[in-house]
Amino acid sequence: MDKVRRRRDRLEVVYDILKIIRQHHNSIKPTPLMRYSNLSSQSFSEYSNELLEKGFIKESTDEKGKKFLTLTDKGFRYLEKYKLILGFIEEFEL
Amino acid sequence: MLVHHLIDPTRLAVEIGYMIIVVSLCFMIFFKTGEIYDLTKHKGIKYFRITFLFFGLAYIFRFLSILFILINITFDIYLSINVFKIFSAFFGGYFSTMAILSLTYSTIWKKLQIKHPLLLFNAIAVLISCIAVISMSPSPLILLHAVLLSFTIIMATHSYSKSRKISPLFILYILFLLFWIVNLFILGPRRFLPIEIQIAFQIVSIAVIGIIYHKVTKWTK
Repeated sequence: MDKVRRRRDRLEVVYDILKIIRQHHNSIKPTPLMRYSNLSSQSFSEYSNELLEKGFIKESTDEKGKKFLTLTDKGFRYLEKYKLILGFIEEFEL
Repeated sequence: MLVHHLIDPTRLAVEIGYMIIVVSLCFMIFFKTGEIYDLTKHKGIKYFRITFLFFGLAYIFRFLSILFILINITFDIYLSINVFKIFSAFFGGYFSTMAILSLTYSTIWKKLQIKHPLLLFNAIAVLISCIAVISMSPSPLILLHAVLLSFTIIMATHSYSKSRKISPLFILYILFLLFWIVNLFILGPRRFLPIEIQIAFQIVSIAVIGIIYHKVTKWTK
């Protein structure tokens, strides 16, 4: 049961992280992103690594050498499709 | 007995039309759910979509089984027909078993945690296919699939009994699996299934898959 909850939450947490990036004009530093997403540093690190690996977000560095996270096309697509994904999972009781 | 039924051009046309519609719907469900699976890697979505890939392939092999018999009889080509029969019996059995197991697992994966589900399903599917090949008759396949269907009903009923409501989707799935089993009868002597009843079954089974397809398109725009 815990795992189920975790899986459901996972889709939502990913959505929240991506939404926060979009709300910040698609560019945000990792530390404020972690704060806004209400995750522990360990969880945030896991999620951000996963999102980077899966190509939902990418890391960029400005001229001062500071890191920023931005959404990729795939990240935007996830945000766009999120409601449909939830609807699909509910419709087919998956 | 079987030969006279199959040589009938109406029956052949019905089979071709049925196969094309069902296979197209199954493959469209598989491809339409590709993007949401790619975005989420959700386990339920994974098993849901591969169900329809496997069912599409199973229906192709079911049709091929009929076609091989027809070719053999109509053109008197005996060459390696047994190889074809073995080939279609094995893959037909394999894909349909994988489809039934995947569909069941897509709805119960939260309650039933299996370490390597695909490995287990493959082992069961290969075993059932081997039995189908050794017996060279659809009867063991029908029986084993009926057992799997009963298992699906028991598992689903158990999970629904807690929520005290039977989902319309559950009924759709049961009908879908039931029609597959009815469709296997066509590979047997089929003395008890006149063409009118067969067509009626096929129309209802197309309607069931059509409803599932319609539900899929609603969420995969």
